[in-house]
Amino acid sequence: MGVQPVIVSAGFSEHASKRSDVNMAELMNEAIEDALSKCNCTIDDIDCFINGNMPAFEGANIPELWMTDHMGAKNKPFMRVTTGGTTGGSIAIAAYYAVASGLYDTVLATAFEQQSCGSTTVGLSSVALGEVSIYLELGYDYEKLRRNMGAGAAIGVGAYQAVNYMRRSHCTEEDLARVVVQNRHNAAKNWWTHLKMPNYTIEQVLDTPYISYPLRFGMVTPASDGSCAMIYTTEENAKKFTDTPVFVNGVASVSNETAIVTSEAGGVGQIDPCVQLGAKISAKLAYEQAGISFPEKEIDYAEVYSPFPNQELMWLERLGLFEENTAHIQYREGITAPDGDLPVNCSGGVNSTNAIGASALERVAEAALQIMGKAGNQSPKEIHTAIGHGWGGALNLITLSVLADQSRRKYKGGI
Amino acid sequence: MKGEILTTKGAVRAEFDFWVGLYLDKFLEGLEQKKFIGNKCSKCGKVYIPPRKICGDCFEHIEEYVDLPETGVLTNFTFTKWAISERRPRQSKNIKMIGLVKLDGADSAMLLPILETEPENLKIGMKVQVVWSEKPQGQPSDIKGFKPIGGA
Ligand SMILES: [Zn+2]
Repeated sequence: MGVQPVIVSAGFSEHASKRSDVNMAELMNEAIEDALSKCNCTIDDIDCFINGNMPAFEGANIPELWMTDHMGAKNKPFMRVTTGGTTGGSIAIAAYYAVASGLYDTVLATAFEQQSCGSTTVGLSSVALGEVSIYLELGYDYEKLRRNMGAGAAIGVGAYQAVNYMRRSHCTEEDLARVVVQNRHNAAKNWWTHLKMPNYTIEQVLDTPYISYPLRFGMVTPASDGSCAMIYTTEENAKKFTDTPVFVNGVASVSNETAIVTSEAGGVGQIDPCVQLGAKISAKLAYEQAGISFPEKEIDYAEVYSPFPNQELMWLERLGLFEENTAHIQYREGITAPDGDLPVNCSGGVNSTNAIGASALERVAEAALQIMGKAGNQSPKEIHTAIGHGWGGALNLITLSVLADQSRRKYKGGI
Repeated sequence: MKGEILTTKGAVRAEFDFWVGLYLDKFLEGLEQKKFIGNKCSKCGKVYIPPRKICGDCFEHIEEYVDLPETGVLTNFTFTKWAISERRPRQSKNIKMIGLVKLDGADSAMLLPILETEPENLKIGMKVQVVWSEKPQGQPSDIKGFKPIGGA
């Protein structure tokens, strides 16, 4: 079954719209120093480095090569992982396997984005090529295509998901605004986040103009500069490094459909973008590995990747934490608040902070910190089991890590 | 559709910034006063120019800034008739010389133009000295290049 991977620390840089006081390497260094300072592990204990970001978002190819010194990785094994929006989630999974395989004892998982350096549209043009190329094959004009997909940003995908979700669940724009307000209030209590808005109200959200119906300006994710680092190790080493080990008991990475042109591209004939079969399958895989049979009862905390508020509702349902079409009602009743029955995104989520390459790793990091009891905006609830989720737009790739304060139960086999 | 080639054209503007950060900013400030500023690792004693946050060998924060002289040693070089930094490569009338210069007292080297000499005079280990631009503005271009000491 392999070695049990354990998380012993997680660190962040400060996030902002423009961290022009640091270059990319210095930005990455901040999170690594934060992670190392919070456990008894030093840079000499690290056997392997994993790093990634969105390709081309800063206009720097293979950035890890010139960041090596600032990461303390000189003469050590190093692997770059980049899978679009899920980059951080894939890095978490790569670190899991590096330890689980027995190849390395202690692994530093790192991710960053310095969006203020670059052009998000250019970056996305390269990431979304799979989807774009299908339209081009049909003879679609490139400019028209960019307009239809939402002017070259993930909001295009988010808006289509939102319309379908609202039709199915009868959730209102006010419900969407409520999700945003909870996130921004949470972000205000967490030191490293970007959009800290402690007094934001539903009325204020609904007073902002639409960007793409039903998503308004006041509802959407910012573009952030920031970095995140996590330390994965063996159970044996974890005893030396920390008193609050977090066990990684299941991981999954599944893509089932493209974002919009599903019937042509994925071949699955799926035309409702909020079905999200990939999320359901990844949940089934990861929960089985972790020995979780009743996710809605056994999972105490969720960090889900939701740049847009409708996605937070959708993911909580597709990942098995709420019944389909009921998530917005849970928000009305405060179930997902830090002191609710199922706290969600106490960090403020991707809706408040989005250094894209780092975002999905930050979900795993915050889930781990909540179990350790060391999060910036710690839930007063006792948290034994938590999930960290990632989503990537173009191909609806889902990454999932299931964490707990105890070692996994016996894995019963495939789906 | 077999045998038919569909093409589509679209223009993507790609503009990027690079934040120099506080350490490289100190270096550029120095250039404005025709001064070289580096920094020194307190653990291994290595002197870096331009200055940097972390010593790659020690993974230590580098805190101490040091002034470096205008003189140094050529540690490597090449020369070319091809003009660089143009969209299309083209032959220029003059031969351009480029060299790695290690300032006296530094442990890192900078890649810069070599001026006021001929390619046949270039030698590894030769002493060189900076040529500043007339009006420094705190930019990399404040360093025009390096020339051999005593002329050659
Ligand atoms: Zn040193």
